[in-house]
This record gives sequence, C-alpha cells and structure tokens, in this order.
Amino acid sequence: MNRRFRILSALLHYPDEALRAALPEITEAIATSGFGDRHARALARLCRRLAAGELLDRQEAYSTLFDRGRSCSLNLFEHVHGDTRNRGPAMVALVEAYHAAGWAAPANELPDYLPLFLEFLAVAPEPLTRDLLTQAAPILDQLHARLAGRGTADARAYAGVIAAMLAEAGRAPEAPPAPAEEDDPEAIDRAWEDAPVTFGPENDPDKEGARSKVAAMIKRLRTLRASQPTR
Amino acid sequence: MSHFLDRLTFLQKYAGTFSNGHGEVTTESRAWEDAYRSRWATEKVVRSTHGANCTGSCSWKIYVKGGIVTWETQQTDYPRTRPDLPNHEPRGCSRGASYSWYLYSANRLKYPMARKRLIKLWRTAKAKHGDPVLAWKSIQDDPAQRREYQAVRGMGGFVRISWEEAEEIVAAANVHTVKTWGPDRVIGFSPIPAMSMVSYAAGSRYLSLIGGVCMSFYDWYCDLPPSSPQTWGEQTDVPESADWFNAGFIIMWGSNVPQTRTPDAHFMAEARYRGTKVVTVTPDYSEASKFADLWLHPKQGTDAALALAMGHVILSEWHAKDRGEYFVDYCRRYTDMPMLVLLAEQDGRLVADRQLRASDLADNAGQTNNPDWKTVAIDDASGEPYVPTGSIGFRWGEQGKWNLEGRDARTLESVTPRLSLVGDGATAQVTFPYFGDLAQPFFNPTALGQTMTRTVPVRSITLADGREAKVATVYDLMLANYGVERGFGDGAASYEAMAPYTPAWAGMVCGIPAKQIVTVAREFADNAEKTRGKSMVILGAALNHWYHSDMNYRGIINLLVMCGCIGQSGGGWAHYVGQEKLRPQSGWIPLAFATDWHRPPRQQNSTSFWYAHTDQWRYETVSVGEILSPTAPRKLSGALIDFNVRAERMGWLPSAPQLALNPLTVAADAAKAGQEVPAWLAGELSAGRITMSCEDPDHPVNWPRNLFVWRSNLLGSSGKGHEYFLKHLLGTQNGVQGKDLGEEGRAKPEEVAWHGEAPKGKLDLLVTLDFRMSTTCMYSDIVLPTATWYEKNDLNTSDMHPFIHPLTTAVDPAWESRSDWAIFKGICKRFSELSRGHLAVEKDVVLTPLMHDSPAELGQTHVVKEWRKGEVAPIPGKTMPGVTVVERDYPNTYARYTSLGPLLEKLGNNGKGMTWKTGDEVEFLRQLNGTVEVPGVETPLARIDSDIDACEVIMHLAPETNGHVAVKAWEALGKATGIDHTGLAKPKEHEAIRFRDIVAQPRKIISSPVWSGLESEEVCYNAGYTNIHELIPFRTLSGRQQLYQDHPWMLAFGEALCVYRPPIDLKAHQAMTGRAPNGNKEIALNFITPHQKWGIHSVYTDNLIMLTLSRGGPIVWISEVDAAEAGIEDNDWVEAFNLNGALCARAVVSQRVPKGMIMMYHAQEKIVNVPGSEITHARGGIHNSVTRAVIKPTHMIGGYAQQAYGFNYYGTIGTNRDEFVVVRKMANVAWLDGPRLTHQAADLKAAE
Repeated sequence: MNRRFRILSALLHYPDEALRAALPEITEAIATSGFGDRHARALARLCRRLAAGELLDRQEAYSTLFDRGRSCSLNLFEHVHGDTRNRGPAMVALVEAYHAAGWAAPANELPDYLPLFLEFLAVAPEPLTRDLLTQAAPILDQLHARLAGRGTADARAYAGVIAAMLAEAGRAPEAPPAPAEEDDPEAIDRAWEDAPVTFGPENDPDKEGARSKVAAMIKRLRTLRASQPTR
Repeated sequence: MSHFLDRLTFLQKYAGTFSNGHGEVTTESRAWEDAYRSRWATEKVVRSTHGANCTGSCSWKIYVKGGIVTWETQQTDYPRTRPDLPNHEPRGCSRGASYSWYLYSANRLKYPMARKRLIKLWRTAKAKHGDPVLAWKSIQDDPAQRREYQAVRGMGGFVRISWEEAEEIVAAANVHTVKTWGPDRVIGFSPIPAMSMVSYAAGSRYLSLIGGVCMSFYDWYCDLPPSSPQTWGEQTDVPESADWFNAGFIIMWGSNVPQTRTPDAHFMAEARYRGTKVVTVTPDYSEASKFADLWLHPKQGTDAALALAMGHVILSEWHAKDRGEYFVDYCRRYTDMPMLVLLAEQDGRLVADRQLRASDLADNAGQTNNPDWKTVAIDDASGEPYVPTGSIGFRWGEQGKWNLEGRDARTLESVTPRLSLVGDGATAQVTFPYFGDLAQPFFNPTALGQTMTRTVPVRSITLADGREAKVATVYDLMLANYGVERGFGDGAASYEAMAPYTPAWAGMVCGIPAKQIVTVAREFADNAEKTRGKSMVILGAALNHWYHSDMNYRGIINLLVMCGCIGQSGGGWAHYVGQEKLRPQSGWIPLAFATDWHRPPRQQNSTSFWYAHTDQWRYETVSVGEILSPTAPRKLSGALIDFNVRAERMGWLPSAPQLALNPLTVAADAAKAGQEVPAWLAGELSAGRITMSCEDPDHPVNWPRNLFVWRSNLLGSSGKGHEYFLKHLLGTQNGVQGKDLGEEGRAKPEEVAWHGEAPKGKLDLLVTLDFRMSTTCMYSDIVLPTATWYEKNDLNTSDMHPFIHPLTTAVDPAWESRSDWAIFKGICKRFSELSRGHLAVEKDVVLTPLMHDSPAELGQTHVVKEWRKGEVAPIPGKTMPGVTVVERDYPNTYARYTSLGPLLEKLGNNGKGMTWKTGDEVEFLRQLNGTVEVPGVETPLARIDSDIDACEVIMHLAPETNGHVAVKAWEALGKATGIDHTGLAKPKEHEAIRFRDIVAQPRKIISSPVWSGLESEEVCYNAGYTNIHELIPFRTLSGRQQLYQDHPWMLAFGEALCVYRPPIDLKAHQAMTGRAPNGNKEIALNFITPHQKWGIHSVYTDNLIMLTLSRGGPIVWISEVDAAEAGIEDNDWVEAFNLNGALCARAVVSQRVPKGMIMMYHAQEKIVNVPGSEITHARGGIHNSVTRAVIKPTHMIGGYAQQAYGFNYYGTIGTNRDEFVVVRKMANVAWLDGPRLTHQAADLKAAE
C-alpha cells in the first residue's frame, strides 16, 4: 500500500471522532512516509489543527467547505462533467476501473469522491495510479486554487492536502491562485453572459456576415471553456 | 498504535462468495460479454416519476448503469384512448428530464445535519441529564440557550450528525412538547400528497398518532378557489386535459398552459387542429397568448369586470330574450336560480337577504326533518311555493330524497320550477352593492355610486309567523345585478352605457374594447347552445391569487352555468392551480391520518395559522370597514383576526393549538368534576375558566413548538410574509420594515390579547426532510437527507389524466439518505422508546370544527350567535367545535404506526359523507402484507412495514383502485339519493389494482362517487358530470349549483351575488418611497408572481441545467416603459421592497410585460446568486419577502352546508397579488461573501 495516498485520503475525510483518535498515528506516519519536507510540514499543520479545540468547530468548517456548493466539491466529476449527462457514464467507467483492479466501491458513496479515489490510488498498481493521477491533476490544481482563495485557515490547511497530491503527480500548484468564481460577481457575469443576438438583414444566415458571427460565438465559447474547466 | 492507516475506510477486496456461499466469484474472463454491451446499454430501466408539487404526473423511464442513474426519458406506454381521441403521451417536460441531476449534484443532502450551536448545547445537556427528554427540557427552560441557536437560523453553521443522534433529538423534543405543552404544539407541513402519497403519509401518520397537527397547503398556497366549495360544495374538480379536445370553444384565462401544464399542452394544439376556437385572456403576452385566435389583455386584477360584462351580454341576448331553451332548462334543473330569496327592509330600502326555507312557511311546508335547511321554489304549473328534493336538508336524517330528480318533496311528483317571476306582475326596487368606485387610482375607479337600485319582479308570500314578505328568484336578482334591461327601464340602455356591468363599463375598468367583449361573449354562448355546453374556460393563478379572487372565479362560473356548460363533456370549468387530485383518497386517509387507530385527526388551515403565529396580524393594514358592503348590517366590527377568532370559537374553522392548556390534562379534570368531557369543557369555556389558544397567539403557552417540514420548501417558496416567519416564528435575522399596530398606535384587535413586545422565536425545533439544501433547510435546526424520487416506492395521481402510476426505487438512496417512510418510522420508534416514563396511555381531548360532508355541516341556520358573548349556549358540534376524547398509547406508537389498526373493521371506511364496510379488504391485507401482534389488540393486524406495504393498503382500501369497494361506495351513495348508481362500477367490480400492476404499466382508475366525474371508455373525465347525468346533488345548501351565497357574513361583505371588487390597498409601498434613497429613481409597481418554466414545482429553482436556460439567478420582468422611467436597463440588478421586506434580482426588460406590473417568477431560491439588499442589509429575499398574508372573513364561514370546514376544502387563502412594491436600480451590489459585516452583527444583536 502507498501510505502517502492513504494518509491524504484519511485527512480529507470528515473530521469525526475516529479520525481525531487516529491523528497521532497519522502524524507519525506523515514523517516516515516520504513526503517532501514542505508537504510534510503542511500536513502536520493540518493534523495539529484537526486535533485542536472543539471537534464541532472543525466539523462545521469542513461542512461549510465541502458539503455545500460545487466550487470545492470533493467529487471529481463535479468539476469535469458538472451538470451534463456525461457524468453518469464517467462514474460507471470509474467503478469499472475499481472492479478491474479487484476492488469494490461502497454503495453509499460515489466512485469519484476524492478520499475514496485516494484510497484506491493507495492500493492500485503503480502504472494505474500514475495514469489516474495525471488525469486528475488539472482538477486538483483548480481545487487547490479555490481552497487557497477561500481565505479561511481551515481552507488553507486543506489546500495543503491537495498540494501534496499534486506533488505526487509531479506538479506544483499553479500560482497565484485564481479567485473562486462563486466569490467574484464579475466572473459569474462573464461565465453566464450571452452575447445579444440581433435580428435583421445583416444577420441573414445565408449571408457571410452571419456565419462569421457564429464562428465568433464558437470561438468565444471555446475560450470560455478553456478558461473555465468546470463547465 | 491502532493501525488506522492500514485499514481501508471505503474499499474492500472484490472477491469471494455471495448468497451464503451459494455463489462464487471467479476470475475467468467475461470479456466476451462486452460484445453485447453498447455504450448506451443500461442494466435496468425503472418506472418512476417526479414526486412533490408537480401535478404533471408523468411516467418516466429511469436508466440505471453500475448502480448509478445515468439519465431519464419519457414513458410512452399509457393505456390507449378510444378512436378519434389523441393519446395521452408523450408526457413530460424539460424540468422532469433534468431531475436526475439532483441525485449526484453538489446540492444533494448526503448526511443528517444539525445546527452546530444546538448540537453543542445538546451534547452538554445530554451528558448532564442522561435522559434525552430531560436534556431537551433543560435547553428549552433556559431562554439564553434557546436564543443561542435560534438567533443564527439561516446563517449556516451545520455539522453532520448520526441518524441515531438526529432521531434522539427529534423524538426527545416531541416527547417533551407533548408532555409539557400538549400534542397540538407539534406541527407538520407537507403539501400535495397526490404526487407521493406514502411520503406524505409517513409524516402525517406519525403526527396523527401522537396527536400532532397536519397543516393544510392548498388554501395556503392560494391554489384553492373558495368559489368552488361555495358554488358546488366541492373542493375542486376539473376535466382531464384530454377533454379539451372535445371542446368547441376554449377560453384560456390567466392560465399559461404551455408553460405550466407542459405535458398537457399537446391537447391544446390538437384541439386547435380539430377546429376549436381559442381565446386567451392574460395581461402579459405570455406563451399561452400564442395559442389564441384572439388575445384579450385586461389590466391585471380586473378580470371579474370582463367576466361580468360577458355575462351581461349573454343574459341580455339569450336569457332576457327567451332565447336558448337548453340554457333555461339547465338553469332550472341544476342551479339555485329558481330558488326564492327573501327581500329585507334595511334603512328604508329593500335588499336581498337569505334564501327562503321550508321552516319559513306554515307547518314547515310539511317537512319535519331539517326544515331550516330546505330551500323553496315556485311550481311553474300551479304558481304555488313548494320544497324541491335535493337540498342539503334531505342529505342528513332521511334517505332517498337527496337527488336532482326535480320532485316536490311532499308529493314526489315531478315539478317544473319557475325561473322568473317577470310575468307575475309585481315588482319592487331592490338595492345592490357596487364596489367599482372604491378602486385605487391604478385600477381605474368609476364614479357611479356605492349602491345601485334596480326593479326586480317579486311576489308576496305569507310566512309561518303570519308576516307578509316579498320574495324574488335568484334568477331575477341575478339579471338585475348584471344590469340587464328587462323592460323596467332601469337596466342598461345599451352596451355603450356607462353602468355596471356593461361591456363599455368593463372596457373602462379593464381596458378591453367593448366590441371584443361582445364578440367573445356571443361566440362563447353560441357554441354552448349549439353543442349543449361544450364551451370551456381554463383558468389559473393569475385570477386566483387576488384578495377578491372569488369574484374573478364566480364571474366565470356564472358564464359557464348560464350557458349550461358545467358537467358536460368538453365544457366547464378547468381550474388548474396546484390542484392535488389524490384519486385513491379514501384508501389513503386511514394510512395518512391514522384513522385506523384514532378518529378524528387534528388538521389545521394553514393560512389562519401562519397569519396568527408568524404575527402577520400585528402588522395588519386592512380594516374590515374597507371591505364591508354598503348594504351590510352595521354591527360587524373588529380586525380581520377577530373574525378568524370568532370563526374558531364557533367551530367554523379549526384551531391549532386548540386550548390555552395541555389537552392531555382536560379529561382528568372533567372526571374530577364528575362530568362528561364535552359538557364539562363547554361549561369551563363558557365561564371563561378555560380559553382557546386563538385568543392569545403570542402567549408562550400557545406557541407552536416543533415544526416538521417535508416534501416542501415552506420558507423558500409559498411562505407569504416570509420575513415575518423569520422574525417571529424563527427569531432570526429578517427584513421586516414596518412597525406593528402597537408601535404605530393604531386600533388593536377586539378578541385577541395584545403583548407590547412580540415574541421572537416561537419554535423550539424546526426539522426539515429534503434531498437538497433548500432555503427552508438553511433555516432549519435539523436537516434530514431524504430519498429522491428515483430512490423510493410510492404512488402518484393527477387530475390531468386518469391513471395511477408509481415511483419506484431505481437505485438505493445515496449516501446516508433514507425514504420519508423510513425516516419517520425511525423517529416514531425512538419516540415510543423515549416516551416511557414520561407518557403512558393518555386521554387527549381533540376539538374538531363543524365538518363538511358530515351532519355537523348543518350548524347555525341563517343567524350567527356566539357562546363567548352569551348569545347562545355552547353546544359542542353545533355552536362550538366538536369535542372528542382520543386515547393514545404513547409507548406503543411505533407498533401502531406499522400495523393497520382495528377501527376500519369496527367503524368501516368513508369518504365525502358516505360510509361502507371494509372488513374483506382488511382481511385481504392481512394475507397480503402478513400480520403483526400489537399490544392491547387481540387479533393480529395487517403489517405496514415497507413503503410497498403502505401502497397496497392505499390501493386496496380505495374505491378508485378496488372495484369491490367502488360498488360498495356507490351503494352507500344510492341510499341517500334513492337512485341505483352501482352500474357505474359493476363492470370493473373484480378489478383490484396492485403495486406491481402499476409498475408494469399505468392503470386507469375506477369510477367512484368520491369524485364528480366518470372514468369510462365513452367520455373523458369532467367535473360535475355525475351531478348532471346521474342526478346526484351538488353538496350545497340548495343541492344545486349555488350562485346565491346567503350566509349573514356573505351578505355583510356584499358577495351574495357576483359583483366587481377591485384589488384592495395593502398600503405597504407608500411609506417606503424615498425612505432610504440610493440615488436612483424609485417607481411603484404591482407585484405579480406567476409560475415559471425554469424551476416550477417539480425541480424548484436551483437546478443549474434549468437555470442555464434562463439567467442563472433571480430575475424580475418589467415593461420597457417602466424601465425607461426608472432608468433601468435589461440585466441591471434592481431591488423591490415595501414594508414587508425586500428582494434583489436582475431586471428582464420586455415588451411582454404591460406598464405598471413587475413579475417575479415563483420560488426562486434565496441560495442561488442573491446579493445583499440595500434596504435590509441582509441577503436579498425571496418573492414572498415583499408579501404578507391578508385573510378574508367570508372564507371563515363554517357549519353552513357547503361553507363548512374540510381539510384543504374551505378556509382562508394566502392571497398575494394585490401587493405593490417600490422598484429601483441597485447602486451597490454586495455579495456578503466574507465574514458577516459589522452592521449585520449589529442587526443581529438588535434582533436579540
């Protein structure tokens, strides 16, 4: 088992009593599992944070970050397929990948749930782990940026887990972090706004001018998609 | 070291055996199977539908692959229709097609959640007290602890909790509340059971077993048209959409069929192909307008004027000219138009009073049974008064004469009643009220005086006491009220005359050219005459949500009745507003309200409840004087809530809570006094030693304490007066801008105690069950994740088509969610356990109003006397609510919840006043579901363990799904009518539909006397069909369609006949104009809230797929004219506000909208892209942030034939269309995304 992935999986889990009880073990394992120094320090900081104060406060922070809304969702496909029908088949494919490697996912959790995915990386054969991790890296990068941009101590601490994961993929988080789109009204406007369509002879579909407008729209959408991987 | 990291949390080895070793997993390659799998292959296709609120009731195919729902498509296997009628399919719309999004969306509720502050208090208290009930008590006994979590409701701060802990807190709170305050302080709100009957029943069965209160929804949503019970004694019954195809002429009036009835709209297109003429009446250029041959656009809120003018034309050109034999014959047989009305002297003028009764005549006109409740007509042949069979007096206390065979009750001869006395010679001057002068300037007031006097043909008759009295027929009074010229010279001289209710008058009021009104009226009536009633009006919420909606509706009903369209295939009244046709109703009621264990259940009309308990009454701006009739008796005084309190005390409306003490204590006190409970309680009430809760809703003893919300978004959608809910019921941050009556020094109510300081935070606990984090969930203390509509088994019916079909479990509930049935079963189990030591077998005293369809509907006859004022003795079930002692075995609540109780065999089952034995069905259910032993009951009972068990109970007990029961029900009705109706169900006697049958294919239901139409292969379902064709009386005073409403309060408010009443002035916007300027221009607009296509009922407004098709957040529509005036451009952020609160949205500037109107689509969630308000400094509200419920006294009438209470049948309605708001462009759009700002914290502090 790759203990680093197992540790990251555990740390991204809802901070319940069991996790808190295991924090000494996890802290010790962080030091000995081969994380880079910077990441080991960040993860140890998260462990200390999870161990300190009222557990209910940590739970509230976790719920606020991950249980509501899509920008920091821990379900990977939420960020790739979002609200499209491709999401179902994608999840089916992932379940099949688990099966192929000899593992069964639980019925009450989706296969693309990041802690579950990490646990699978911990036990999957090395080439598969690499492959999956490479595929997930752009999403992780974005998730890292959003967590870092949240501006709360808990979010920053969790961003450390994602950064450690990116390091496993041989990448460093892209800097500087982009603002989370939910917090930026201008970005929301840009993402949702359609160009006004005007009707009239100049937009006759059979005329050249109109086609160039369609082409412009497609181009704009492509740009938008490239800059907004969630959509 | 525990080796935590060596264990896996999620994964396990995929290998080994299964099925106890009968199966073995092998590693041999199954790759060859892939050849049989294409990309789109699914493991299974499951039938389900969309389960709450959407009345479309479309059957869907749900595709499942790898245990995951991948997509859904429309089912196309409805049973075929007959030749020459289009099939029902396809049914479904974009909203349903995007539902599977919810299952795995980031908005899905995955775990039980609770407010952190409450959990912290709870765990501390639990550690200290051990007993969960005492722990809850310790929190509630400390005001500081209560405020600590109440004050942050709606502000986030949730943590996940376990199911065990959630169940324990809820159960402990319920036990504590039942024990301390009384079971009627535990309240539950869930709407529209027809769309997922078992889910509804899950909660209502629990509440009914413990004595809690189920809240109504149809009236609260303002979807109930009170004019329907007033006219027909029927909640609402309508034609199925297929019957549109049979119509010759359709008016679509304030109902946006393609947008809000999408799956049915194809019948409208098909009807047009068939040649049906379509006229659309909507103020805005809606999608429905595009179906029209002619589009009429009256000013919003003035539709009654248009309807009255059309009636004026039809009465003038047909009835007054003796044209249309069919119309006259119909009016004689099936309406109260021939019934006689007493004319009363009042201040030197003659006004129309109540309908004459047998008891007014010498010797009770030969009637010994209920002579007060039998109306009188004149025999056309002899010219003498007689008592026709069929009035309500014949329904109770005797048998065989409650029918529309048109006989003289004394001789049983067939008699033709005289419709008009115009040939008799005598006339009198009668004064009618006229309200058109009282309109606000926006609604085009007239200057015609507040009364009008017309010549009416009359006759003098001798009353029982020897007095001579003048009487007139309803028909003659109606024609006079319509201003029809009948040769007396004081009707309207022409259609151009400016007098009520001519086309020219209507043109002035509603802005439609008189010529168009005349044309439409003529064509409508002409078609009805030629086709014998195949003219139809589809009408909707645009008419129904006004304070005086009754007039809009009655204006239209009059048109249909005078043209003989009601009860005729292809004709009639098609009210499609939130209608909830739970077809197997009588089978469902025992399950839902636990009438197999206890009778009666506690049920409450929501509008009056929320009005009182969210303290909206404390801010009332409408005085009774403003709405009383100029012809009213003078003695009616008081505030609107006073009328409601009077109605509750007299048993007209229900109460919750009921008494200002715990009802579990009453029986013991009565026993000490050595008296029966009803008599003792009546004495104590009368002496004032015990009072009713309604007289002091702000006293802590009378607060609702626990509220369950399930299948509903109470606070995010239909909660009129949203900000008052937040302020007083929840006690949290709110946007209320107005001051209450005390702060303003205005007159206070007469009947209600006034507390200088209003309560903040009446509710101890708000629990919401949902599958998504809705606005309501955000305000809840505990949120329980429920199964989606593809994760549970349930039943679904609609009035739009005649089929019953299921919801089924396509996949297991995801994450930790559970079905509603499983959730309430769990709470119930824990409740039973925790009640031990606190509650035992208890005697609960239940108050019940004078119920419709029961003998109690004959309450006080044409007088209103109050026991509270000493005007009459308090007689339970007659002059005050009925009093029943119900024995509840609290520790055995769970055993009762999961078994079919013994009362069905002991007392039988019933529906709409009919009772039948149902022992065979109960025995069958024992065999089908298996049996279970319940403590205290000798015989084993049928088990109701799973949701499918529950479905089988409903379907086997109901006449609509079990032919044997249908025949029994028709037999029961036949006893009252004296007519054998069983032939209507005999052909299907041996058909009994089971759950697996409807999983295979939707099934057509069986004709039942619970409904007024037939399910046959010859006609489409249409309301009132059996009244007209089987001669079953309408359940009204006269037994006919009641166009004359003669209760004293109806007369007082001037609504005996249909009149024009303009929208009322709620005075909510004037005081806000210029109060907090932001530099942008402010304009006042009328606030209209139609239903949308991006988030109507079935998927609410947080589905991003649907939002993407619109503007992705809250929007309001305004006209180009108003936008230009206020300097608003399309897509600008604007704020709309008044004394009730404020909302923020983007403006859609559109030619569709007429000047003077702002439209905000219903139920746009507060949680999706809503910025902070510049007025309240809190997050901008929902559409109901600028509304407040205003109740109407005529809706409180009870114990009076058709105007008697029934759950969701009659009662006050939550109107909201008369509201005006100030609108302006926002200067500063703030998202409030950081930690709460200082001024918000200050607000919060002030709130505390």
